[in-house]
Amino acid sequence: MKKYLYIFKSELMSNLQYIFDISIGFISYCILIYIFLNLWQYVYSDPSEIINGYTMKQMIWYVIITEILWMSLSGRKYNRKICNDVKTGNIAYNIIKPYNYVEYSLFSHLGITTLRFILVTILGIVLGFIFLGSFPELTVLSIIGVLISCVLATIINTLIITSLGLISFYIEDTSPIYWVYSKLILVLGTIFPIEYFPKIIQPIIKYSPIYAVSSAPAKLFVDFSLITFIETIIIQIVYFLACLGITHFIYKKGVKKLNVNGG
Amino acid sequence: MKGVGSMAVITVKKLSKVFKVKVKEKGLKGSLKSIIKPKYNIIKAVKNISFSVDKGEIIAFIGPNGAGKSTSIKMMTGILFPDNGTIDILGLDPSKDRKRLAYSIGCVFGQKEQLWTHLTPYDNFKFFGAIYDIPESIVEKKIEELRELFELEEFINTPVRNLSLGQRIRCEIVASLIHEPKILFLDEPTIGLDPVVKEKIRTLIKRMNKEYKTTVVLTSHDISDIEKLCKRVIIVNKGQIVLDDTMDNLKYHYLNKKIIDVKMKEKVNLDDVEGINILKDKDYNLKLEVDLKKKTISDAINLLNIDNIIDINISNIPLEEIISQIYKDGDK
Repeated sequence: MKKYLYIFKSELMSNLQYIFDISIGFISYCILIYIFLNLWQYVYSDPSEIINGYTMKQMIWYVIITEILWMSLSGRKYNRKICNDVKTGNIAYNIIKPYNYVEYSLFSHLGITTLRFILVTILGIVLGFIFLGSFPELTVLSIIGVLISCVLATIINTLIITSLGLISFYIEDTSPIYWVYSKLILVLGTIFPIEYFPKIIQPIIKYSPIYAVSSAPAKLFVDFSLITFIETIIIQIVYFLACLGITHFIYKKGVKKLNVNGG
Repeated sequence: MKGVGSMAVITVKKLSKVFKVKVKEKGLKGSLKSIIKPKYNIIKAVKNISFSVDKGEIIAFIGPNGAGKSTSIKMMTGILFPDNGTIDILGLDPSKDRKRLAYSIGCVFGQKEQLWTHLTPYDNFKFFGAIYDIPESIVEKKIEELRELFELEEFINTPVRNLSLGQRIRCEIVASLIHEPKILFLDEPTIGLDPVVKEKIRTLIKRMNKEYKTTVVLTSHDISDIEKLCKRVIIVNKGQIVLDDTMDNLKYHYLNKKIIDVKMKEKVNLDDVEGINILKDKDYNLKLEVDLKKKTISDAINLLNIDNIIDINISNIPLEEIISQIYKDGDK
């Protein structure tokens, strides 16, 4: 475990050199939040109105949190990196190191994500406070609970994207698969809470990985309860274990197919 | 075959590897056809090779492009799985004990970076120490030792991205030595370097081999690397070992030929003399290739007439030429 923490630390140190460049990338985050602010202000004619169980402020905080999770993940870049590792044979040079490639990728990506998460969270909270003037009801317990859920969500999401990238062992380009995944997250997990969807598909979304990686921590942030927290953490732990198993399985099968040409 | 004995750290027996490569007929029609009915070519990259390497040896494992040397090295390091045959590296099977083996071997691939470019060499070395589970105090001592051996003082705290290629390769080698590997695989470590830096790298590899008794398996297209570092050479061509011999044998006996450059007072006619091949004949300067199986050097000098010689230089055939001849022979 110590070596993986060192991988995490090295990636964090490495990215600290580019803190300014990373921050510039968050301009799009500000624009997005501004758009959603206007959209929900238009939908909620009266700010005290409740639609599908959410006030306007809760809706905007919900989007702020789901967007923090998505923006800090930088999934497209990570998916491309895993793909390139497989395609260029770079993965081979990780094989001969005394660590597992899946865990190496996970901790290395968490190193980048942690820095991005801190930066975009500060930005999100400042923006939310400026636009809305207040936070949802928060306690020390709820903040810790939301943070745990955010960490688990990021780990699960990283593992899913790793699996999608590792499909490169079998097909030439995995970016279309990633594209579908990212759009599902956007539609079903980022913009609207599950209560906005037809009753019939709500349980499907709730027990899908999309809920575990995106909606769940945001829902906890806007409406924390101990029962929801425990339920969320159980779902996330199950998904974490399942995703870890699947990613290792794809890697183990795929690496046997590895052809490293040239040089 | 050299190196067989109780000291062997690498033993390869009847190793083979086959690749399935997709083939496509030309044009759009060919592309469509390959979707519906893909065709594959079977490429035998490595065919039944056997050899062993003793502790502390520096061996050259060379061959023309596509000869199968990199595939063999990748099987020895555990990157690729062999189709047939066995590999024993320090008592371990690379395809089964890859992780355990990783602690005992080091690899430097001249064309691939293993260092974190945004970190300094020092941070990189600490990173490698951590992933090989080496206690911090030992890593510090090791870095200090290697810093001196590889003369890294000037740039140990400069981010890798700002280093020259030569400096980076030195750091790559050091990073591979942090965990004190017993075997070091160097795949084209001097590629793209200028002659002065190449020389430096060779000196450092030699020094490291002497100091730590590390076994080195070197692949390089630069014959000087091989000539200056290796005592033994294994040449692979078309997936087979075509030569496994000491460098001395290769140099002096393989072709049994010497080159004589001579400046004469008067012209001498050596046409049609058995065992002598005239390479150049311009004014009073002659360049001869003497086949030692047919003529001795003294016979050749007698034919030139010793009183007729102003200046003479006798040399071996350049190693590069010998090796390209072996490559060509292998192609026949």
